[in-house]
Amino acid sequence: MSSAIQIEQLVKTFGSTRALDGLDLEVRTGEVHGFLGPNGSGKTVTIRILLGLLRADSGTVSLLGGDPWSDAVELHRHIAYVPGDVNLWPNLSGGETIDLLTRLREGGGSVGRQAVDLAKRDELIERLALDPTKKSRTYSKGNRQKVALIAGLSSSADVLLLDEPTSGLDPLMESVFQECVLEATAEGRTVLLSSHILAEVEKLCDRVTIIRQGRTVQSGTLDEMRHLTRTSISVATDRPITGLAAIDGVHDVAADDGEVRFDVDAGALDGTIRHVSSFGIRSLVSQPPTLEELFLRHYGDELDVASGRLDEAASS
Amino acid sequence: MTGLAVDAAVTPAAGENSRFAPSSDSSFTGTRRLLWLVLRRDRFRIAMWMLGLVGLMVVSASSIVALYTTNEDLEGYARTVRGNSALIIQAGPGYGLDDPTLGAVVMNETALWMFIAAAVMSVFMVVRHTRTEEEAERAELVRAAPVGRHAALASAMIGTLVVNTAIGAGNAVALLTFGLPTAGSLAFGASLVGVGMVFAGVAAVTAQVASGSRTALAAGGLVIGVAFVLRAIGDVGNGLLSWASPLGWAQSIRAYADERWWVLALPVVTTVVLVVAARALQDHRDYGSGLVAQRSGRPEATAQLSTALGLAVRLQRGSLVGWAAGLGALAFFYGLVADQAEQILEDNPDMADFFAQLGVASVTDAFLSTAMLIMTLFATGFTVSSVLRLRSEELSGRVDPLLAGPIDRRQWASSHLAIALAGTVALAFVCGAAMGAGTALVLGEADRVGELIGAGLVMVPAMWLLAGATLLVYGLLPRWSLAAWALVAWAFVAAMFGSLLDLPQWLLNLSPFQHVPALPAAPMSWLPIVLLAAIAAALIAAGLAALDRRDMA
Repeated sequence: MSSAIQIEQLVKTFGSTRALDGLDLEVRTGEVHGFLGPNGSGKTVTIRILLGLLRADSGTVSLLGGDPWSDAVELHRHIAYVPGDVNLWPNLSGGETIDLLTRLREGGGSVGRQAVDLAKRDELIERLALDPTKKSRTYSKGNRQKVALIAGLSSSADVLLLDEPTSGLDPLMESVFQECVLEATAEGRTVLLSSHILAEVEKLCDRVTIIRQGRTVQSGTLDEMRHLTRTSISVATDRPITGLAAIDGVHDVAADDGEVRFDVDAGALDGTIRHVSSFGIRSLVSQPPTLEELFLRHYGDELDVASGRLDEAASS
Repeated sequence: MTGLAVDAAVTPAAGENSRFAPSSDSSFTGTRRLLWLVLRRDRFRIAMWMLGLVGLMVVSASSIVALYTTNEDLEGYARTVRGNSALIIQAGPGYGLDDPTLGAVVMNETALWMFIAAAVMSVFMVVRHTRTEEEAERAELVRAAPVGRHAALASAMIGTLVVNTAIGAGNAVALLTFGLPTAGSLAFGASLVGVGMVFAGVAAVTAQVASGSRTALAAGGLVIGVAFVLRAIGDVGNGLLSWASPLGWAQSIRAYADERWWVLALPVVTTVVLVVAARALQDHRDYGSGLVAQRSGRPEATAQLSTALGLAVRLQRGSLVGWAAGLGALAFFYGLVADQAEQILEDNPDMADFFAQLGVASVTDAFLSTAMLIMTLFATGFTVSSVLRLRSEELSGRVDPLLAGPIDRRQWASSHLAIALAGTVALAFVCGAAMGAGTALVLGEADRVGELIGAGLVMVPAMWLLAGATLLVYGLLPRWSLAAWALVAWAFVAAMFGSLLDLPQWLLNLSPFQHVPALPAAPMSWLPIVLLAAIAAALIAAGLAALDRRDMA
């Protein structure tokens, strides 16, 4: 089996709201897959369908080859889930909560297995610097998140569903989290990571899916996606460059103190560099688009649509 | 800082340098806006309480007015009630029954329960808008705004005052429309507001002291229970202890029986003292925690905490122990006065005929069966709230990590349901055993213990039926889960006021408790018990099936 998660044309409505509107998502076994999209675009709904908490209206969803709704319990032996907004039982301590969640998963398995889990648990508590004796009601958001992370990461699950798992962690803890995810993939586990921390996604993810308004807008490796967008180039030449703006695929040309900056589409890169080199390149800095830029392009559209709606609302 | 106001007025430039505008801000700033929030958020609950408490008075008063038309009728009622401890416990001292008027009868039949209802409503309302808000972390958004530290408490208290006043006024108007005297009607309305506000003040204090909102609620409930028992002992005895109970004060105003208006000073002064104390206590606690600190827990879970059922036990055991202790004490107390029931016959030959016609062997048995019905109705409060744990676990998102593990919804729902069903049996047993112990002690009849344990346990299928109905509502229409309380409320009305209100039989039959043989007064019959249990099982099966098919919140 090459795909841990395979979603096609998924639709989920809540009353008249179409939360998911034909979403596609493929997560290959063993990869870390970034799941990106603006707030309210349907990431959490997708994950809750994968967990069998919500029932899809139409489309096909396959998780580890099973149906998340009808095979929920069997599938859940092989997955771990960390929500972004962690609620815990206020009068249980962090340590008790972790043990409870781990034991529920293992179903009171063999003693040897539990011993391994305990070692892993204690190691994670140590690394994430959690005080397991405190009652959950006294934990901060970050500490509640640590509890969920430790319970999830100390399991032997094949698939980790992480829904903005680090939104409350400090940078130090976030880097510990990243190490843990890399260790998990080294063990051959699959990770679906929904996150707004783009540096984290760039560092961890093999492939990325960007969704908007319940639909997939782009999916692929970061390299592939970079290919689809523009590279920023800043160049200084012996002679002033002419005719640059006329080249198809070159955008936003700006000259500043003998240096020219412009963006160029991936397809026009070769021709543009040839053109520029004829003016005698003294220095050239090329910047591939960051994920943030990729993202902002899609978010930007979203904002345009949203502000358009606001205008409509205001005028009506 | 105070000089700023003057400076700013004289030289505007000085004001620009300082970000602090001179103002009259205090720790109560924002109270008015928060008050609107309180009333807006609770508008549905407030409407329900008003409808319930005014409506109950309207139907009670109308049926009493229709029932007791002559002086002989009133005198007959008074003869039965007067000086009878068993009845005094659940009705009050019966002011004005020496020379009975319609008003005095209405008060004796309804007042105490109205007072308790107002107290319960007030405790819930104050805790909901203080500690519960802090725990939900909504309050920090409010406190981050220019809102004073005491504004939440002040708005909760004022909001509760508004609602109590509306209920008190509604009751007074209802009584007036039945032609009852003005003074008595106003006195009852005022005492209703008074008792509500005293317990609002109690809740304001427990909300500062308790380590969490649930504990604050439980402490408020405990104070209501203690107030009930104190006034019951006082009313039966020389009346002294009744003065230690806010419920006793509310009765002591003597509506329709030569009103004592000065008694109203007691709730007013007490409420003010409690609110001032709550305000002072709040200054000594941290936001989000009570004066009683949260203890730290164990670093590792015990072996019991390994399953969904283990978690449900852990989450609900505290509440079950609390219910058992409270109900056990009250049931024991009911048992202790069982010997007083026989007095009814000595005082009232008519009643002897009445009981003879009903085929009831002994009045003591009749009293005990009624007492057991009341106790198990209370216990049903645990049953329903225990099932409704499912809803709060779902809404808070705490169920997500469980259902994301290898546990299906049935297992999870069954875990809390198991506590609800088993806890119900335990509470029915405790009620029976405690009442039996009290009765055995005072009557010297040891076999009463076993008899009353049976009388308690026979109620269990009816209580289970309400558990099943609650589960079905939760599974089918989760947003309407709280409607399950309407079933409990109806069972209460049918049991306490059913005969008084002369309601049609089919309406009374909607309460499962109507079908349970009233042991020990009536003979045992198995058929209704088996049927009730079967219906309960069907409701539970339907509820679980419905839960399986719907989306989780």
